[in-house]
Amino acid sequence: MAPASSKLRRTVRRARPLLGTFVEIGAVGAGPEPEAAIEAAFDAVSQVHRLMSFHEPDSDISRLNRAAALRPIVVHDWTYRVIATACELHRRSGGVFNIAVAPALQGLGLLPRLAGDIEVPAAPLPSDAIELLPGNAIRFRSRGARIDLGGIAKGFAVDRARDALRGFGVDSGIVNAGGDLAVLGSAPQVVHVRDPRDPGRLICAIVLADEALASTARRFDPFHSAETVATAVIDPATNRPADALAGVTVRAPSCLIADALTKVVMIMGPDAGELLAQYEAGALLMFSDGEIQITPNLSEAINRAA
Amino acid sequence: MTQWIRYTLPVAAVITAASPALALRYLSIEEAQKAAFPQAHFTEVQAGRVWKAEAGGKVAGFFVFDRVIGKHLYIDYAVALTPAGAVHSVQILEYRESYGGDVRSPSWLSQFNGKTSASPLKINGDIRNISGATLSSTHITEGVKRILATYGARLK
Repeated sequence: MAPASSKLRRTVRRARPLLGTFVEIGAVGAGPEPEAAIEAAFDAVSQVHRLMSFHEPDSDISRLNRAAALRPIVVHDWTYRVIATACELHRRSGGVFNIAVAPALQGLGLLPRLAGDIEVPAAPLPSDAIELLPGNAIRFRSRGARIDLGGIAKGFAVDRARDALRGFGVDSGIVNAGGDLAVLGSAPQVVHVRDPRDPGRLICAIVLADEALASTARRFDPFHSAETVATAVIDPATNRPADALAGVTVRAPSCLIADALTKVVMIMGPDAGELLAQYEAGALLMFSDGEIQITPNLSEAINRAA
Repeated sequence: MTQWIRYTLPVAAVITAASPALALRYLSIEEAQKAAFPQAHFTEVQAGRVWKAEAGGKVAGFFVFDRVIGKHLYIDYAVALTPAGAVHSVQILEYRESYGGDVRSPSWLSQFNGKTSASPLKINGDIRNISGATLSSTHITEGVKRILATYGARLK
């Protein structure tokens, strides 16, 4: 039954600097306390940041990187879920998705070295380097293993924020962490996609309902330059930044999967079609020359928004 | 084998993001003050910039308004400080995006108005959900550090 007081529904949007970017959370018709729902959603994002930051010395990730090669380390349920998903993606993508590329990112100056850390070779690790044990415990089979959830944790944070809104009875909302976003509710919302070669332009609009969308591109830092430069996506086969595509946008049921798949598609290009299908995902690729290709399942969502 | 479809941009879809529609307004200064210290009343300590929040005869904290100007982004934000000068909360008040004189079609928004004005797809009448390369919030982080260094230990 539709609420009789639909005219009282209002939209509340707030933005805060979190996860190294701007996180915007919006809620519509959140009952008497939309601000409380949004506050809970921001809290969920902050908690993911605390648990999964590579930089914070007390995070689960830092504890794993320090000691998981020596003994099993028990982590928060959320951290365990993200790492388990990352391992599954690693397997299904034939090793292309790899959270153990932190040494390569350190070598490129994209991640800091840890205090007292040993220099580890930047070579990719074997697929079984991360061992998932019962009781949310994780062990590394290699002393050289260093993980970074930068390619996946932001999407997970967006999902947790969306859950928090839902838990407060919000039936329509959006969580957007610097371009990785999830729409809550069956009311369709339009999301515009930036041109990765020229972030001042939008290339298309995509209609989303209860879905997530994530994008990645060669690195874009508008504070330093409007030009796009090298990507922070590392191809484990070469240990160098992936550069065949200018940018990728992925739609998936969850932002965790959408976020992770952007990295895989950035490396695999059109060959990622099967993997996208396995995760019920669709993608838009832009090649360096501006050519755009989309999966058929995105075509309707794009056309509806155009 | 998954088929890929070549996607040709409709001319009207190639629009620039450099428009007032990307001046995203979240909170006025007054609203942000109320959000940071719900029960307090505010006294201006430094015109247009610093307010003291008091509730029940006691100092609840301080509210500092600031603006970060990057090369392309102008962001108004506010830092609420505890009485001891620690960060209580950071809120974005207004987020603008401009690419200088790069507005290719000043009336570009009108091409969308007719299509979406009566539709549930429209959000606050603006294009405001954007997916793309992540924007760095480094300048806000630097701004908060600057505010702490400037006011953290000095406000009483």
